[in-house]
Amino acid sequence: MAITIASDEPEYARSPSLVATFSRRLLTDPVTLVAVLYLGLLCLVAIFAPLIAPNDPLAQSILQINLPPSRDHWLGTDQFGRDVLSRIIYGSRASLELGLISPLLAALGGSIIGMIGGYFGGIVDRVVGRLIDLLLSFPILLLGIIVAAALGPGFWNLVMALVLAFAPRFARIARASTLSIRNEPFVEAAVAAGVRHPTIIVRHILPNIAGSIAVLITLWISSAIQLEATLSFLGLGTEPPRPSWGNIIRDGLNNLFGSAWPIVSAGFAITLTVLAFNLLGDAVRDVLDPELKE
Amino acid sequence: MTGPLLEVEALSVAFGPKLNPVRAVDAVSFTVNAGEAVGIVGESGSGKSVTSLAILRLVPDPPGRIVGGRIRFAGADLLSLPPARMPEIRGRDIGMIFQEPMSSLNPVMTIGDQITEAVMLHERISARRRRALALEMLDLVGIPNPAERFLSYPHQFSGGMRQRVMIAMALVCRPKLVIADEPTTALDVTIQAQVLALMNRIRSTFGTAILIISHDFGVIAEVADRVVVMYAGRIVEQGDVRSIFRHPAHPYTRGLLQSIPRLEDDRRRLYQIPGSVPAPGARSAGCPFCPRCPDRLPICANAMPPMAEVGPSHHTACWTNPGASVAGAQ
Repeated sequence: MAITIASDEPEYARSPSLVATFSRRLLTDPVTLVAVLYLGLLCLVAIFAPLIAPNDPLAQSILQINLPPSRDHWLGTDQFGRDVLSRIIYGSRASLELGLISPLLAALGGSIIGMIGGYFGGIVDRVVGRLIDLLLSFPILLLGIIVAAALGPGFWNLVMALVLAFAPRFARIARASTLSIRNEPFVEAAVAAGVRHPTIIVRHILPNIAGSIAVLITLWISSAIQLEATLSFLGLGTEPPRPSWGNIIRDGLNNLFGSAWPIVSAGFAITLTVLAFNLLGDAVRDVLDPELKE
Repeated sequence: MTGPLLEVEALSVAFGPKLNPVRAVDAVSFTVNAGEAVGIVGESGSGKSVTSLAILRLVPDPPGRIVGGRIRFAGADLLSLPPARMPEIRGRDIGMIFQEPMSSLNPVMTIGDQITEAVMLHERISARRRRALALEMLDLVGIPNPAERFLSYPHQFSGGMRQRVMIAMALVCRPKLVIADEPTTALDVTIQAQVLALMNRIRSTFGTAILIISHDFGVIAEVADRVVVMYAGRIVEQGDVRSIFRHPAHPYTRGLLQSIPRLEDDRRRLYQIPGSVPAPGARSAGCPFCPRCPDRLPICANAMPPMAEVGPSHHTACWTNPGASVAGAQ
């Protein structure tokens, strides 16, 4: 037995999806488009490094040290005669791996902890809050140095240092967003429908705070790349002879008067990549933030 | 099954510090029979919403807690169930419709997902059958093109449509009882009438018992068979709709009924009950309505009137009712 009551809302418009909004932004904003194209290219370069790199990044040659750019070595060679372009290409792998993996892991861990604290409140929230404060009180670089010094350099140790540094930042945002969402009537309605707390967190809270977490991820990727370079420069990051942009600069600094090409090239790569990720972050924030939409 | 579907007995809910608690609901007793519609009416702060939340044990704790009484639903004592068992009752046996259709739906979930969520939790049936059930429900509550609207998000619906979706969510598991807390307050009058008609239709279709909470006697009259009038956390009068509307026995009920504006009225000023609901902490030993009561007697300030019969299935707690002194003497 159907009830026929005239609809009080005969027509409705489907709001454009986020992907559609983002695509439109790419088409209308050339700066973002360039940044995205650059990052896409960089990812391809990192993935297909062995196919693209003209030389072995580790092959040394006493006969070819400190060469300026030439047809054989587009960006010259360093003090061990290694091809700088190949080292930059292979170095993008270290930067991107770390730059993507550590913010993602930090977002995962931080959001879970922040949501639990914000959702359950009370003593749980206090413990989570103090833990966040404790970790936030360390400068990121100092935290990286402490972990690297305690556990030694190495990729996963570096990831751990960055996750420890970034996670409280995600937790803080996740907690604050959860606090405002959990008082929404739809959460109470879900409880009244018999939904249990873990399911509410995953199905009702998480999708509502995912936007702010996504913005935060894109903003921290560039910081992660910078930190990888910084820690590698300090000798606490990627271990030589494996190339990374940071340790190319470190090696190059000792050889600044032999050849400036390694430092200039690696510095340029870091600058471009960080800039591109920041521009991407801005674009993502604009798309996800309804207040900024026109 | 014998006996009423829902039996609330001397329910008390307190808020605030343990040493100096404030009783928002004080010794409230009423019953809802299977298939019956009962209305709870009262002004803001009378404890009607807290009573409805307490039935599903949704009173936020802290600061609130249920300090006394029993709630029996279909033979089970809800207050002695372990908290982990409550989700089984919520949604499956007792559905709840909330006041705010604008914010009681998750903005980032399609309404289809939100309706099927309760089914997914309580029944082991395939996704296709869940969808079919939800579509049937959407059709029943009067959403045009259910299959198309299934994938829509709440912001694509108007307030009245969202309230229909809320009703569909509350009913999709075919609960024995639906608690509707001010289901029409946020809607405009024509939509109110549609939603109330829908609730009546659902009751006659499924035989669902309804506990409707409202400050509006008109809404109660539209849906309920019996009325419970609450004031300051206590029940002051209860009985069937007709006899309460025709012969309100408690001065507070009379005041509420007189406050309803009428078209044929040529009074310059609308009727109002003088004063306002006393702050929950500042209640005296006597009848809580005494300071505002036009008919108060000397005894009113000193002793709480007992619940006494006025007529068949019509009771009130007021000293002006001749039955009260008899009941008080016993």
